Amino acid sequence: MSLVNFTTREITCKIVYYGPGRSGKTTNLQYIYGRVPDKRRGRMVSLATQTDRTLFFDFLPLELGSISGFTTRFQLYTVPGQVYYNATRKLVLQGADGVVFVADSQARQLDENIESMQNLQANLIEQGVDARAVPFVLQYNKQDLPSDLILSPDELNEALNFWDVPSFSAAALEGTGVFETLKAASEQVLRKLSQAEPA
Amino acid sequence: MTETRVVEAWTLEPLERFVAESGARLTLLMTPAGQVLAQHGFTRAVDVMSAAALGAAIVASTGEIARMLDQTEFAALNHQGVQHGIFLGAFDTPRGGLLALVVYGPDSSAGLVQLFFEELAQGLVAAVPAQEEPKAVLAANFEEELNRSLASLFGR
Repeated sequence: MSLVNFTTREITCKIVYYGPGRSGKTTNLQYIYGRVPDKRRGRMVSLATQTDRTLFFDFLPLELGSISGFTTRFQLYTVPGQVYYNATRKLVLQGADGVVFVADSQARQLDENIESMQNLQANLIEQGVDARAVPFVLQYNKQDLPSDLILSPDELNEALNFWDVPSFSAAALEGTGVFETLKAASEQVLRKLSQAEPA
Repeated sequence: MTETRVVEAWTLEPLERFVAESGARLTLLMTPAGQVLAQHGFTRAVDVMSAAALGAAIVASTGEIARMLDQTEFAALNHQGVQHGIFLGAFDTPRGGLLALVVYGPDSSAGLVQLFFEELAQGLVAAVPAQEEPKAVLAANFEEELNRSLASLFGR
């Protein structure tokens, strides 16, 4: 959960980018890292295999700025997408304040998207988290591929967006939709901090 | 003088005592999810977050190995380098589990850090206050500031 320091007026939130292998989670973080000024970001930590597949996680700390007088920081994590890394995904998901699900828009990847979404829900439930209560955003990545290879955002909404959460078309390699996705996730996470929650 | 900064005030006194007695150069107190509660010795907040993420990951992955071996979690880990050593320890408090990541130099030792880590854990357990009621933190109309901050972050 978010950490709030009332003395120094600082907020730290954790956002996890989830999704199947090779859907573009790391690419989202790499694009953000490349666009953000040095003084507003930390080092991007990537625990990856020799072939650059995420082994444990990628991590990017960001200084967002001042919101309601609080210096606000985000910790962006990715999880490894491959099915057999579930133990690692569960570890990274611990304490997440918000989740971005990065789906691969290619038609042949639909089953992998659905399986990963089911895996996310199972892992949240296992951690005692109501998946409907977590700030959640969907990103349909690779929408820049030829149209005969991909599903449209409407088709992907039909297949994946059970809870009618905000969804964004993206081409993360060139940055399309990356900013909008992070903005929506940030807004949802911070909105929770603007509402008094019952104990 | 190197600064000690805490997110939760009750962690300050046990942490300062630990740093003075153990000779630690850097110390992080964090949750198992990698959220920092207190730190000593770091200069950039974003570096603190990276170190916490990596420390929490090490503890989490060794915890998983312990589970696979059907044993209780490893109490502490120590990595000895040429210049510095890294100590990682976990302990329970009434507010949940906490982790400590300690970096020490040649003026300290793994034994010294381990000894005072146990005191640190006891001091923190004794200092934990009752859990406060969650309350609204941000103003209801925070979106404009968020949009401005994000636009500035992305140079838009």
